Amino acid sequence: MRPLPNDDFAPAPRCVETGLNILVVGVGGQGVLMISKALALLAQRRGFEVKQSEVHGMAKRGGIVFSHVRFAPKVWSPTIAKGEADVLIALEWAEGLRWLDHLRPGRGVFIADTRRIVPPFACRSRKPGAPSAYARETPAEIVGRHADGCALDATEIATALGDARTANTVLLGRLSAWLDYPVGDWHAVVEAIAPKGTAEINRRAFDAGRAWTPPRTDIGDPGTADATVASPPLAALPDLHISVAIDPAWCKGCAICVKLCPERCLAMDGPIAVVATPSACTGCRVCEWLCPDFAVTVRNEGVPA
Amino acid sequence: MLEATRTLPFDIKDYLRLDTMPHFMCPGCGHGIALRALLAAVHDCGIDKDRLAVVCGIGCSGRVGGYIDANTFHTTHGRPLAFATGLKLARPDLTVVVVTGDGDCLAIGGNHLIHAARRNLDITCLMLNNEVYGMTGGQASPTTAATRLTSTTPSGAIEPVFDACALAAAAGAGFVGREVTRQAPALKTLIARALRHPGFAFVEVMSDCTEIYGRKNDLGEAPEMILSQKADMRPEARRDAPDQPFRPNALPTGVFVERDLPEYGERWRAHAAALRGETER
Amino acid sequence: MTARLTALHGNHACALAAVAAGCRFFAGYPITPSSEIAEHMSHALPRAGGVFVQMEDEIASIAAVIGASLGGMRAMTATSGPGFSLMQENIGYAAMTEVPCVVIDVMRGGPSTGMPTRPAQGDVMQARFGSHGDRPVVALAPASVQEIYTETIRAFDLAERLRTPVTVLYDQVIAQLLESVAIPPPEAVKVAARKWANGAGGFQPYAADDDGVPAMARPGDGHRVHTTGLTHAESGFPTQSPAVADRMMRRLLGKIDLHLAGIEKTETLATEDAEVLVVAYGITARAARRAVTELRRDGVKAGLFRPVTVWPFPERALLRAAETARAVLVPEMNAGQLVLEVQRVIGRAPPVRPLGRIDGEPMTPGEIAAAVRELARHA
Repeated sequence: MRPLPNDDFAPAPRCVETGLNILVVGVGGQGVLMISKALALLAQRRGFEVKQSEVHGMAKRGGIVFSHVRFAPKVWSPTIAKGEADVLIALEWAEGLRWLDHLRPGRGVFIADTRRIVPPFACRSRKPGAPSAYARETPAEIVGRHADGCALDATEIATALGDARTANTVLLGRLSAWLDYPVGDWHAVVEAIAPKGTAEINRRAFDAGRAWTPPRTDIGDPGTADATVASPPLAALPDLHISVAIDPAWCKGCAICVKLCPERCLAMDGPIAVVATPSACTGCRVCEWLCPDFAVTVRNEGVPA
Repeated sequence: MLEATRTLPFDIKDYLRLDTMPHFMCPGCGHGIALRALLAAVHDCGIDKDRLAVVCGIGCSGRVGGYIDANTFHTTHGRPLAFATGLKLARPDLTVVVVTGDGDCLAIGGNHLIHAARRNLDITCLMLNNEVYGMTGGQASPTTAATRLTSTTPSGAIEPVFDACALAAAAGAGFVGREVTRQAPALKTLIARALRHPGFAFVEVMSDCTEIYGRKNDLGEAPEMILSQKADMRPEARRDAPDQPFRPNALPTGVFVERDLPEYGERWRAHAAALRGETER
Repeated sequence: MTARLTALHGNHACALAAVAAGCRFFAGYPITPSSEIAEHMSHALPRAGGVFVQMEDEIASIAAVIGASLGGMRAMTATSGPGFSLMQENIGYAAMTEVPCVVIDVMRGGPSTGMPTRPAQGDVMQARFGSHGDRPVVALAPASVQEIYTETIRAFDLAERLRTPVTVLYDQVIAQLLESVAIPPPEAVKVAARKWANGAGGFQPYAADDDGVPAMARPGDGHRVHTTGLTHAESGFPTQSPAVADRMMRRLLGKIDLHLAGIEKTETLATEDAEVLVVAYGITARAARRAVTELRRDGVKAGLFRPVTVWPFPERALLRAAETARAVLVPEMNAGQLVLEVQRVIGRAPPVRPLGRIDGEPMTPGEIAAAVRELARHA
C-alpha cells in the first residue's frame, strides 16, 4: 500500500481500455443499485460487455445491499473475487470497511461516504445514549493507507443541494474523476437513470461529487473531521425523564413485569413486584402494557403510552 | 364522532373507577391487559366517557365493564349483544362496546353473535377468549382446545373448538380481527380500528386464565403463559409465509375482514324517514 | 276532542295503544297468537319516529327492549307462552335493575308448544313466579279489546312510575277478536314521565326517594353509572353485605306496596249480597259476567269479582267482595292457578272451588252457572 500523495484528490483519470471491476456497497434505500445501473449503462454505451450481480434481500430492514459491476471486452464471471475489485464505492462507512478486502492490493480505489448508519443490533444496551459497537475505524485510518481514494460526507453535500437521496450520485460524480470518460457521457447516463423529475438535482449532485476537493486544512487526511474521535458521537438525546413505579396496593404479584422486562430492572419482593434497578429502565413500557392490574406506571415522553 | 384523536398522553386512571380498584381478577389474568388496551384505544379514538356505553355479559369478562368510568351495563349470560342492539338503536349517539367471553359469546350467546354480525349494527364486540369458564371454576368452553384439562373434561377435552373470527366473518361482520394480550400495543391499535369501523366489529382477544386453566394444564405461571402466546400466533401479515418459522396450527392474528357494509342503524333511520315521507304525502 | 270509535282486533288495539302511550321501541320474535302486535308495530313505529327490530329469539327481544329502555326509549315486546318462558331471566334482570318496559303475553294452550291457536290462561303463575328469585311483579289482565287498549297504556304508565317491567296478560280469543274501541284523544292519554336524574354530582343510582323509586341515569348525561343484575348497593355496584342486600331487596319489593292504590284495579258485579262469588279474569270473566247476570235473574245470589290487575293480587278488594259469600268459584282456562291465590287470601272459609278448563276452548257461561248453582245448593 502506498501512501496517498497530498495532491491526489484530483487524480489523473485512468484510461480504461481493458475493463474494470467495480463493487458498490451500502444498505437498503441508499441507491446502490442506481449507481451500478449507471455504471453498467455507461460501459455498455462504450461497447463493453457488462455483467452486474446484486444482493438486496434484507434491504427493507436496513440490511446490506451490494452490487458487482464488471465490464470488459469479454466478461466471464458475474462476480468479483476477493482482491480483484478496481473500485469500491461505499455508500455507508462500515459497509465499505467490510468489503475492503475485495480491492486490488495497492491499486484499488476506495470511494466512501463517511455517513454512518448504525444498525439497531450495534447497540448492546437499550439505555439512551449508550455506546454502540459500530466500526471504530476512521476514514483517516483507511483512506490512503490501505487503499487509494477518498472519503467524503456525500450525504451532507447532497442535503445541501436539496435532496439527501442524491448522495449516491455525488459518489458517482466522485468516481468519474478517476475514469477517463467524457463528462457528457456521464451526464447522459445520469439523466437516463435518474427517477422521473430528479434529473436536474442528480446532475448537480454528480457535478458536486466530480468537483469535490477536501477542505484545505484536511489535505492529506481526508475525513479528518470525522476521524478525530474514535467513536462517532451520537446526536445528544433529549432528557426523557424516564421512570418506572409500581403501586403496591394494586400489584397482585403475577411477576409478568419482572419476567418480561428486557432490562431486568424489576424484581419480586415477597408477594409483590418492586423496582430493583430503576437506572436500568429504558422506558419501553412493556411492563406497563402487560400489567393486568395497572400497578405499573412508566414515565417516558419519548414512548407514547 | 370518532374522528377526533387525543393528543394528551394516555393515563389509564382517567378511565377507571378508582374506588373499585384494584380489580377482582386473579393475578396474571389477561383480561386486565385487554381492558388497558381497550381504554387506550378509547383514548386514542377521542371517545367521550359520557358517550361510551360498555355492555358486558356474565363471567370473568362480564366483570370488566364495572371498572370502566363510563356508562356500564352488566347484563345476563350470553345476552350483551342483544342488550347492546337495543341500546344502540335507541341511542345512536353512544359508542357501544360489548365485552364478552368465549362461553358468553360462543356458547350461550352464539345465536346473538351471528345475528349481530349479520345485522351489522355499529357495535364493537370484544371477545376475551381464555378458553375456559373461569368464574364458575374452570369448565370447558367452546374454545377449550382438545386434550386440555378442565373441571368438566377431567380426562381431556374431546370436542372441536370454534374459530370465533371465522364464525363472525361468515355471519357477515364488517370488521374481524384477533390479537393476543402479549401484543398489547398492537391489540390497542386493533381495537381502535374496530372502534372506528362503522358497523359491527368483532375483536377476539386471546387472554390467559392463569390461576385455573393455566394451573390445571401445567402451562406455567403468568409470565410463562404470556410469553408462550407469541409462539402460538402468526400475524396476518405473514399469512402467506410458509409455516416454517411458526408452529403448526399457529393462531392467525391481525385484521381478517375489513369491508364497508351498510350499517343497520343508518339503514333503519333512512328506511323510517322514507316511510314518514310517504305518510306525509 | 272526544274519543273516536273504531273496530279493532285485540292485538291491533294493543299496538295502537302502545304507540299512543309513547312506546318508540319494539323488539320481538314471531309467535302465534301475538305476531300481529309485531306486525302492527313494524308499520307504526317507523312512521312515529321509533324503532322496530325483529330479533333472533325472545331472549334477544326482551334484552333489546331493556337496552333501549336503558337508553331512554319507552319500549315493549310481545310474545306468547313459549316465548314468555324464554324471556323470564331477562324480565328478572329488568326488575332487578329497575328498567321500565312492557311485556305483552298473549296466552295460548300449553305446556310446551301446546295449542298455539287456542286460548288459555296458563301463564298467570308464570307471570308471577316465572323468573327466579323474588321480584316486584305487576301483571294486568284485560278482558276486552277496549280494555287491551286502556290497560296497555296503563302498563306503560305503571312501568315508568315504578321503574319495573309490567306484563299484560290476555288470551288468544281477545287477541284476535274484533270489537269496537273508543280511542281516547291524545291529550287524554296519561303516561308518567320517567324520573331522570339531574346532572348533580355524587349521584347514587339506586338510592330511592320517598316513593321507593330511584331516579334513573340517562347515558350521556354525565352520571356514568354501573347497571348490574347482581344484588347491588345504592351505588349500583355489587354487594355481598347481608345488611345492604336486605335493605335493597326490601326497598325493591316494597315499591309495589308503596304504590298499591295506583296499581290495583278490580271490577265487581252484584257482590253486595252474593252468596256465591265468582272470581274470574280475562276472557273467562266475560263468561262469568253473563252467568252471574243470568243467575241473578233466576234468583241465585251470585256475584263477580274481576281482578283487572292480577299481580299484585288485590287481596283487600277480594276480601271485601267476599264478605257475604258462602262459597267462592274460580273458573280459569287452566288446571287451577289463580285459585291458589284466592284460597290463600280467603283462608279456610268460605270454601274456594276451582273450575278448570284445559281443552283449548273458552269457558262458557253455562258451565260457570252450573257450577255456581251446584255450590249454592250445598252452601
